[in-house]
Amino acid sequence: MICWSCEKEGGKGPLCVSCKAILPPDTGDDRFAVLGLPRKFEVDVAAAESAYKDLSRQLHPDRFAKADPRARKAALARTVELNDAWRTIKDPVKRAEYLLELAGFGLQGEDRKPGADMAPTKKVAAPPAFLVEILELREELGEAQQAGDAVKVAFMAAEMRGRAAQAMKTIGAALESGRFEEGARGLIALRYYQRFLDEVAAHEERALSGGDHG
Amino acid sequence: MKSGRSPEETMAEAFLQISEPGASPTKRACQTRAIGIDLGTTNSLVAIVDGGRPVCLRDAGGAAIVPSVVHYAADGSIVVGTEAHDRLAPEFPRDTIASVKRFMGRGPSDAEATRKLTPYQFAPPAGDGNVVRFAVASGRPVTPMEVSAEILKVLKARAESELGSPLDGAVITVPAYFDDGQRQATRDAGRLAGLEVLRLLNEPTAAAIAYGLDKQAEGTFAVFDLGGGTFDVSILKLEDGVFEVKATGGDSALGGDDFDRAIAGALLAQWNLEEAAAHDARLIRRVLDGARAVKERLTSESEVSIDFALPDGKRTAKLTRTEMELLVEPVLMRCAAPVRRALKDAGIEPAALSGVILVGGATRMPLVRQFVEKMFHRPPLADIDPDEVVALGAAVQADVLAGGAGQGDMLLLDVVPLSLGLETMGGVVEKIIHRNTTVPCGATQTFTTFADKQTGFDLHVVQGERELADQGRSLARFTLKGIPPMPAGMARLEVTFMVDADGILRVSAREETTGQEAKIEVKPSYGLTDEEVERMLLDSFAHAEEDVKVRLLTEQQVEADRIAAAARAAMADTPELLTAEDQTAIEAALGALAAARAGTDHLAIRAAVEALDAASKEFAGRRMNVAFERGLRGKDVATVEKKADETAPKRDLATRAGSHAGHSH
Repeated sequence: MICWSCEKEGGKGPLCVSCKAILPPDTGDDRFAVLGLPRKFEVDVAAAESAYKDLSRQLHPDRFAKADPRARKAALARTVELNDAWRTIKDPVKRAEYLLELAGFGLQGEDRKPGADMAPTKKVAAPPAFLVEILELREELGEAQQAGDAVKVAFMAAEMRGRAAQAMKTIGAALESGRFEEGARGLIALRYYQRFLDEVAAHEERALSGGDHG
Repeated sequence: MKSGRSPEETMAEAFLQISEPGASPTKRACQTRAIGIDLGTTNSLVAIVDGGRPVCLRDAGGAAIVPSVVHYAADGSIVVGTEAHDRLAPEFPRDTIASVKRFMGRGPSDAEATRKLTPYQFAPPAGDGNVVRFAVASGRPVTPMEVSAEILKVLKARAESELGSPLDGAVITVPAYFDDGQRQATRDAGRLAGLEVLRLLNEPTAAAIAYGLDKQAEGTFAVFDLGGGTFDVSILKLEDGVFEVKATGGDSALGGDDFDRAIAGALLAQWNLEEAAAHDARLIRRVLDGARAVKERLTSESEVSIDFALPDGKRTAKLTRTEMELLVEPVLMRCAAPVRRALKDAGIEPAALSGVILVGGATRMPLVRQFVEKMFHRPPLADIDPDEVVALGAAVQADVLAGGAGQGDMLLLDVVPLSLGLETMGGVVEKIIHRNTTVPCGATQTFTTFADKQTGFDLHVVQGERELADQGRSLARFTLKGIPPMPAGMARLEVTFMVDADGILRVSAREETTGQEAKIEVKPSYGLTDEEVERMLLDSFAHAEEDVKVRLLTEQQVEADRIAAAARAAMADTPELLTAEDQTAIEAALGALAAARAGTDHLAIRAAVEALDAASKEFAGRRMNVAFERGLRGKDVATVEKKADETAPKRDLATRAGSHAGHSH
């Protein structure tokens, strides 16, 4: 990339190799590359975090508040890119989804709202038997919550957390060895488990909030 | 944290500055002229970094706090601060705006503008604008942004007299839970005050910066910030000079004012004054102020008896702390859900926190401290000043942004407080940027058409956590046109949301198959357009001229009164030196002066003063001779001269300081 400041070749990094001016992001970089990581599921999260913070210190718009408008614009774009990358990398679910997206796999879940759309090439859907099972579990949960059976709710939630942890392991292993379709199926299952757990948490919060006012 | 200078010194320096307008003195060893401003609901402060440490700037009397109260007088003058709060608000409640922050970025139909216990009168919206406007005695109705700008101008002037001008810019703090519209409104207020707003900084984050740097603290902290009108809770990780906000939550319409209102409501009910309060602004203002006094005194006392001077007579409120707590507890309980959610969003248990930092005047209440202890399973940290800590943190950030090297590698990573999304079919919100995402950030989402041959997209930008658009806060609507007719689902609309480091949103949309583009900076539904800001700036320049006229007039009136009184005193003092001619001429000149004094032309008053001077010249000469002879008998000439030297500048200074103090310009 030609540097906007010294008009020489600036290189691929965030700072120009000859004059150290901040350069706009290279659109070719994936989110792993932005943090200097290889494109794979297993990540040393602590090391990635310190890379994120070091880069933030160099590139954050706060460092360029009084600089040339072109530098400010580049800093904003660089930091947006960096924050997006870190948000994806630090969360194993998002990291898995991103790897699948890079591999051309779209996930078809109940997640998408009407009007919203993704543009996947290979769609993977959840097997009907799995959906039926989840539906039944959700009904059971609803009944237990209705009846105020806190022990049963807690038991069901613990069981579901176990399933989610197991699914995460399966996804990680599948993605590490390039079995994307298996990873995608695992991720769909994980979404349903997560949704179940969200419902448990939301119900608890509703109960607590009701208690606050009453 | 006192500046260590006496009020007299400050006055003298102020006088020197006035007499040397060309100079731009810097009295402090500051690397930058950047300032941090805490623009609070109840009080506002300004701070700078001096010698590597943040300090609040104080007035001549040593007070850092400027009450956030602005009075608009019938003569067009504007009074900000203590005088407006103490003297003018009880007398002119409609024309004296307090707690204006609660109206920032709000529309006339919002809860804040329609609530019962409000002393204000609202003007109908102007043009196509949808901004709250207060009807005040000075004539033209004023917006919350203009009112806030008056407070900012006072703080700016205080900073300029310490640092010299121009300033390098300002960081203004906002509640973390302020939505996009409220942030835009705050930025607009800064522009109206003539400030370069370097950054809007979230208040709990500012507090954490000040606390973290002062105590060299590391770990994960909660900031519980209950101010006059807003509540924020933030969870931050402090490590190696990085201040990383993990999660934030709150309620931008919950604060100490609501405690006052709960107490006031109960007192009005007890005194059977609820009906009367519906339309008596003075009654409302006095009961609210009294309720605040009750609340504040019950912080240290267990029982109070306070007299209320109400328009129809005196009432006495007797309350115990327990009774007061029963009244405010339902309000305080509204803080519970945001605290739990912030902890959950941050993924941290209360036990894993390193400490809880209290910010805001309302956290002085014992009930609030007990509540915090219960929510976080630990007593809060009590070694910081909850009033000053936000301004101090803002000053540090301002210094960093302006290039000061004092804080080395300090870095701030803040978040979006409320999810941002688009309304889709059926009024459902598709969230594009989720709450607690680190800023700056961006996200793109693809949408498609739902009808055959659809040639435009209506985009409705919404902020909030609710699933349905009409439950969230509407930020903006815009349309992308010019899409060629295609079957439903064929067009692909790519919408990009970008949030900058101030937490302000920009939206752009692009139809992929045609490349048709629309870009907007989201102008909030309850905000000002750029044109409106321009117009207000121009207006304020026009008003600045009026303000100068008012000041000149006041100065001449004061001078006229002084001269007239002196002339009368002299005539009474030494009638033996007065000839009949003198007497006639002086009486005539006094009459002319009184007539001019009653008018508004300062030049006419000045002419009359000069005429009186001329008429009394001979009489004054005779008096002078007599006095001189008398004086020489007792004292030597040097003493007399010295005395004359001392009196001259002092009189001048007093007049200037007087007109300065009452004025924000």
